[in-house]
Amino acid sequence: MEYKRTELGYNIGYTSITDEKFKTCSVYVRFATCLSPSEAAANSLGIGALSASNSKLRSLAELNERLSSLYGSALGTFTRKRGDIQILGLSSSWICGKYALDNEDIESEMISLVRDCLFSPNVKNGEFDATPFRITKNDLLDRIDAEMNNKRSYALDRASELAFSGEPAEYSCYGTRESAEAVTAADAYAAYLKLLSTAQVEIYYVAPEPNVKIAEMFRNEFSSLDRHSYKCNFRAISPVKNEPLTVTEQMDVLQCKTVLTFKSDSDDIYAMRILSAILGETPVSKLFVNVREKLSLCYYCTCRYISAKNTLTIDSGVEKENIETAENEILHQLDEIKEGKITDDELESAILAMDNALAAIGDTPSSYSSWYFERFCDGNIVDPEQQSALYYAVTRERVIAAAKTLKLDSRYYMLCKEDNT
Amino acid sequence: MMEKELLTSKVTGDTCIHVKHHSGLDIYICEMKGFSTVEALFGTKYGSINTMFKTLEDTEYTTVPEGIAHFLEHKLFENEDCGVFELYAKTGASGNAFTSFDKTCYLFGCSKNYTDNLRILLDFVQKPYFTDENVNKEMGIIGQEIQMTNDNPEWRVFFNMLKCMYHAHPVRIDIAGTKESIAKIDAPLLYKCYETFYDLNNMVLSIAGNVNADEILSICDELLRPCSNKGLETVFPDEPDEIVRSEIREKQHIGTTIFHIGYKCVPCSGTERLKKSMSASLAAAILSDASTEMYVTLLENEVINSTFGAEVFCGDGYFSVIFSGESDSPEKVREALQNEIERISRDGIDDKIFQRIKRSTYGLLIRELNNVDAVANLMLNSHMEEVAPYDAIDIISSLTVDDINDFIKNEMRSDKVVLSVIEKDGGSQ
Repeated sequence: MEYKRTELGYNIGYTSITDEKFKTCSVYVRFATCLSPSEAAANSLGIGALSASNSKLRSLAELNERLSSLYGSALGTFTRKRGDIQILGLSSSWICGKYALDNEDIESEMISLVRDCLFSPNVKNGEFDATPFRITKNDLLDRIDAEMNNKRSYALDRASELAFSGEPAEYSCYGTRESAEAVTAADAYAAYLKLLSTAQVEIYYVAPEPNVKIAEMFRNEFSSLDRHSYKCNFRAISPVKNEPLTVTEQMDVLQCKTVLTFKSDSDDIYAMRILSAILGETPVSKLFVNVREKLSLCYYCTCRYISAKNTLTIDSGVEKENIETAENEILHQLDEIKEGKITDDELESAILAMDNALAAIGDTPSSYSSWYFERFCDGNIVDPEQQSALYYAVTRERVIAAAKTLKLDSRYYMLCKEDNT
Repeated sequence: MMEKELLTSKVTGDTCIHVKHHSGLDIYICEMKGFSTVEALFGTKYGSINTMFKTLEDTEYTTVPEGIAHFLEHKLFENEDCGVFELYAKTGASGNAFTSFDKTCYLFGCSKNYTDNLRILLDFVQKPYFTDENVNKEMGIIGQEIQMTNDNPEWRVFFNMLKCMYHAHPVRIDIAGTKESIAKIDAPLLYKCYETFYDLNNMVLSIAGNVNADEILSICDELLRPCSNKGLETVFPDEPDEIVRSEIREKQHIGTTIFHIGYKCVPCSGTERLKKSMSASLAAAILSDASTEMYVTLLENEVINSTFGAEVFCGDGYFSVIFSGESDSPEKVREALQNEIERISRDGIDDKIFQRIKRSTYGLLIRELNNVDAVANLMLNSHMEEVAPYDAIDIISSLTVDDINDFIKNEMRSDKVVLSVIEKDGGSQ
């Protein structure tokens, strides 16, 4: 594998990852900007409209027809949240030319298509074309409405709102239904132009062979823009509340959900990640073994560490009568770590699990791209092997010290209505 | 002496090895140069639909409680000395298992120590340890899993559709069973199922990634215990061609109304099923293609959104084509599909569209070979469907527009369609 990152301009990174084992070529373009409730929906719609048409393929039907004729090439857009930052992007992938049945130049066709979607969108009179924009907007509204369909992720979203109240991370990366409804085709285009001008941009190209044309295309297109970009603050530690806040929602469900959010002021992110693995990320973690297996209190009870906010969340699916017992046991398991009750096996298996996951990074184009983007956000671009060494250097004492910094910030409970119990 | 059979894709040149091991087990290995990870699956042709069976030793068919295959999968993770997860924890591998309608698979993914992990996998799957105590303990966890899936609208809309489609075939029952059905499971019954279905003649091992075939075969020689072929027979109740009912609706506290529209088709097996499922996949792709007039009209009239899609769902004794998505008017989607099916049955598919979709499907099959997990699953699934791993690519190139026209005309009939809807109830909080 060959990794090479260059700057195409101020705050525009271009990373080429060449790995001859792949049968596909993939490009990922990410725009990073501060998450703002007044801009989130417009940004999301501005990016979303790029995958509905462009100036040459002026309808979704034409665009899709072109993609499927190029051997099912993929092109899509995405919006997500990383701490206080909104990440918006476009991704595309296609099979390598040598697999084309009629020697078509898939690569050149797709580079042009990606360029047209990003730099020559379907715009008339300063706004996105009405029909594709309406489709994009309906999709976003449905996506916002559908957040409730998955109860586990809904519970995590509500817990996030509660934990990060008053911070950008409180808000959804899609905006609210009301704010999305209010965005016009002109607003969305203006938001996209602002992203092109001000966002931090990171581009990744993952393929079996390098292709200088891609970097040239991006360099040319960005050089014609009036850029006045600013650096994002990718890590904004969230302050812990003076007293833990509790929010309870009644819903028409059979299984209750609970989310506990803890916050820390520790800078030792590697120890925090190992702590999270020991506590609840693997099938031999303390929560899985004790809360689920030994006591049968929850079907799932897992932990995740969000380095961008320095918080740790524990979410579980639990029957109503077990909520209190399960929560006491979760807190007890965390206390065990604070008291130093970590076995050699627990520490070793947590590090091994992390190491195993790191070694898998290079096996898919998307994991390569995600890995290097996340490390860019961390401000420390290391390869998986270097990161692995940092995990192996974590000691029991560092894990205990990290655990001692955790303070309970908030609790979210999704309870089943009385008539469902 | 075992014979290594080299299987090669005529289109991509990809290769894998098939071995019929003297223990009775079929083994597939794909050495993938340049990849770091290993994905291994050890599977048995035993899923939730296999509720009635007998072997050469039995005079009568045995009927077992619904959900027992899934229950057995949970319990096999616990051996006499310690849990399997503890063993994997020492190597860093990620171990897991799943039960579907027609198979149960135990798997691991790792980047290091794959030979140690293979030893763990082969050992624990061949070493059941069931007691009444550990069986009773599992009831609680599985009961919670059943509760959780009942809260999942995607799960509900799918199973509601199957219940309206199938009168008697066990594909209509939930993979995990019900709290009542799993209460009938005990240790002797689990052993009975284990002895019947975990016969190596009924199983397959599939490994892909950064591996060496000779190393794998050497471990297999050491650890696999030869099985005599028990002459397993599974039977299914007679299933009428007709559907049970054409529509089912349920309300849940969700944000968007979701639907499944399923066409009940005639089931088949082996190469015939692969060819039919490829025809069905192309038919489904053509009908749900985002560039067609039907799709564009539905989208522009806000009847569907970008979640609209289609898939083929088939196995022993069942075959259906399913369209799904979010819509406040799913009956309009059903009507539009029916009109389009009638139009195609009358006028045929435009050859240009057919060639484009065929090419797109070919591209998706090439992409599948780019991924270690996907290759391991491809080899296992192909074996279970009694075809070779690269057959799909060959079959797709041989399909003609007439094959797809025939499938749509003969199989996607208006009297065999089921609409299942989970409606948002707009309930209070």
